[in-house]
Amino acid sequence: MRLLMWWSGRALSSAATLLGVSVLIFAAVRLMPGGFAETVLGPFATAEQKAELATRYGLDQPVFMQYGHWLGTVAGGDFGISMISRQPVGAELLARLPVTAELSLLAVAVSVLAGVPLGVLTAVRARPGGGGAAGRLLSGLGVSVPEFVLGSLVVFVFSRYALGLEVGAWVPLTQDPARNLATMVLPAAVLSVFAVSVTARTTRDAVMGVLVEPYVTAAVGRGESPWFIVRHHILRNAAAPVVTLLGTITAYLLGGALIVEHVFNLPGVGSYIVQAVGRRDYAVVQAGVLLAAGVFIVMNVVIDLLVGVLDPRLGVTAGRRS
Amino acid sequence: MSLLSVRNLVIDYAGTRALDGADLEVAHGEKVGLVGESGSGKSTLGSAVGRLLPRPARRGGGEVLVAGEPVFDLPPAGVRRLRRRHLGFVFQDPIGSLDPTMRVGAQLRLVLGRGADVNVHLERVRLDDPRVARAYPHQLSGGMAQRVAVAMAMATSPELLVADEPTAALDSQVREEVLNVVFALAADAGTSLLWLSHDLPAVARRCDRVAVMYGGRVVEHGPAREVLGKPAHPYTAALAGSAPAAAAHGARLEPVPGRPPVLTGPSPGCAFAPRCALAADRCHHERPDPVRVRDQEVLCHRAGEVTA
Amino acid sequence: MKRLDRLSLGGLACLLVLVVFALGSLAGAGGDPDAIVGPRLRPPGPGWWLGTDNLGRSMLPRVMEGVGTTLLLSSIAVLVTAAVSATFGIIAGYRGGYLNELVMRLVEVLYSFPAIVLAILVAAVLGPGQVAALASIVLATIPLMTRLVRAAAVAVSQRDYVTSAVISGARLPRVLGRHVLPNVAGTIAVQGTYALSVGIAVEGGLSFLGFGVQPPQASLGVLIQRGGTYMIAAPWLILGPGVVLVVAILAINVVGDGLRDQLEPRETRSLT
Repeated sequence: MRLLMWWSGRALSSAATLLGVSVLIFAAVRLMPGGFAETVLGPFATAEQKAELATRYGLDQPVFMQYGHWLGTVAGGDFGISMISRQPVGAELLARLPVTAELSLLAVAVSVLAGVPLGVLTAVRARPGGGGAAGRLLSGLGVSVPEFVLGSLVVFVFSRYALGLEVGAWVPLTQDPARNLATMVLPAAVLSVFAVSVTARTTRDAVMGVLVEPYVTAAVGRGESPWFIVRHHILRNAAAPVVTLLGTITAYLLGGALIVEHVFNLPGVGSYIVQAVGRRDYAVVQAGVLLAAGVFIVMNVVIDLLVGVLDPRLGVTAGRRS
Repeated sequence: MSLLSVRNLVIDYAGTRALDGADLEVAHGEKVGLVGESGSGKSTLGSAVGRLLPRPARRGGGEVLVAGEPVFDLPPAGVRRLRRRHLGFVFQDPIGSLDPTMRVGAQLRLVLGRGADVNVHLERVRLDDPRVARAYPHQLSGGMAQRVAVAMAMATSPELLVADEPTAALDSQVREEVLNVVFALAADAGTSLLWLSHDLPAVARRCDRVAVMYGGRVVEHGPAREVLGKPAHPYTAALAGSAPAAAAHGARLEPVPGRPPVLTGPSPGCAFAPRCALAADRCHHERPDPVRVRDQEVLCHRAGEVTA
Repeated sequence: MKRLDRLSLGGLACLLVLVVFALGSLAGAGGDPDAIVGPRLRPPGPGWWLGTDNLGRSMLPRVMEGVGTTLLLSSIAVLVTAAVSATFGIIAGYRGGYLNELVMRLVEVLYSFPAIVLAILVAAVLGPGQVAALASIVLATIPLMTRLVRAAAVAVSQRDYVTSAVISGARLPRVLGRHVLPNVAGTIAVQGTYALSVGIAVEGGLSFLGFGVQPPQASLGVLIQRGGTYMIAAPWLILGPGVVLVVAILAINVVGDGLRDQLEPRETRSLT
């Protein structure tokens, strides 16, 4: 019951955040210097176009009414019409979503499969004084190479030398899964480098925090083997911060995907937004940014539920607080 | 042969010396109380028995033998075997010593092996309520959690149980219950007990022998009644007063004037000398060797002169 | 304060070299970044140690200028972030109540945007340019720093010396400035260091997409973006600024790690 209360409270607070995000996005575009109609239609718009725009967005009404109107249409799944393609933005985003989703999922999978073991291993073998300089430098390098540098480099290497993987020839998953995967490997790899490093670092920190807990000392005292202690006592106790990180990583990957899709010329949501900004296609920018923030917020709620299941103490203490 | 034998053990933590040549013997079936102020090295000695010291700790010399095996010179697998076969540990923080993400029953089963009857082991520590096995550690009281920890430590009937102030975090009423459980189980299984404690009167009542620690050394060691009744070391005398039995039930150690030392290297003389009323010149410059006074082993230059 | 470890000192040295690099560019060392010095798209060699670009300009002074632009932009942005986060984080953490709730809500909203997405939104609104880059970095780095400063301030305001200062009649600005601020300064320093590396990455990313610093002014992101066009024929155009950018971010992160390890030393235990 208390848990239910807590979860609904959490959901409510996320809804508030989402609302705040929508206000910010609405305000950002609507209150742009130069005026909305001017910005959207350009300086050479006819009076007719302006009138159409005004009725469509309710520009003659007070700003908060405009916001309500906008929110209503967005909630109904109507993100407006792209100024460039003249297509509904919602449909275009939906068509491009699978590419971004596939890219992000691949990267998340890699970062969990590689980052978690790496973090556990380095934590269990850590020495006082924080490990070797080489290891620290390597893990530091992982979080320090931006996608646009690494991506450009990978594109260069793989297009200059025939290394078996094509760059820039994307194939839809539905058309040829094998070739699709072959074209996604490199972008996913580039996207996951940062995520793997962050996952490894967070896992390492979490595991090191658990290692000094008395119940670990107690397990060592019972003569359990390191592998047994890691499996039964450490993984689950260290999971909360790592799972929480996955929420943040998702947000990060959405941002990273934007760059990676641009670099590798993949037809995903990210490259769509980049193009839209370049063409001042604001309906698309609004919808894309709202989508990115929305996914992040929803993801975090899901993660919170998961963490509550993982650690029986959290639900109770959180329930007491609210 | 003693079950546990600690010889001239030196343990350093980055820059500070926790043990400065400690000696201790525990025989089969014996109940030994290890007493001393915080910082005297009790916990370090207790952990060293199972090589459970935290990472920055380094052994500077000496050895620990459990059932004749040198704990510090064994390979990792050997230490694990030794811990499983011979040793059990109970720590200060009862709830902290249990895995917070696992139900009590599941944790016990992990120790006992599949198919074991968890409830039998819980009943042995007088936890008869079947709900305990289904509870998470944070849902238990400190006393209940500590009894679960005792059940886990005693599940394998170890030869030596090291209990590091197991009741320090508990209410005074619960203390006696937990101690009763510990001593009863130990007596049943023939387990030797090394009990680290502040509680001098309780130690006097329950233990066969007492070892008193000061400045990282065991400064006096002998039969409980003798050590606390007729102390031969000035520090023990100060701790115990003249009649330990007269001290209030559960009372803490009477404070000795001055502060315990923080050593950075070997103490040049007797570590207690700066606080000792009997200190002579040589006490400051010459490390005392063990001398025998009545039934006690004492580290003191003036041991013969202490009159309790 | 204890000494930083060797790796962090190395990072600090790297940063210093980059700063000298940037200052040198202002003083005209390395040559005029806009002067055409030789043939187009030449690999590194005497006269153009990092090669020449598509107009025959030497890359060395351009990279030096780029380092300067990137570092300056990021540093200013981080100073703004530090000032804003420190102010709101401390007040929210110390006072609690509605103010705390409001600040945390706003921070939560900002935190919901991936940094580069937020940057793009800012660039879309303000139009591409340095101001957009600056504002992006500030908005992207504010949430985390404000949260952590607030957490530190909450912990500090419960300590005895703060309570005793309040009881002895110290006024609020004095309590916050004299007692709370110095105790959250470590957090600000560590987070400021990390924010600087985030800032460099955000500026780079935004300029790389074409929405940040605009040519002909050079920043590391601009150079990498321009280099991408001629990547196959002249990979040094991207390698030079790319390596410098990575080194800058890495050096800053390493320094940040060193600071953090000092602020919160870690214990470990052996499982054997």
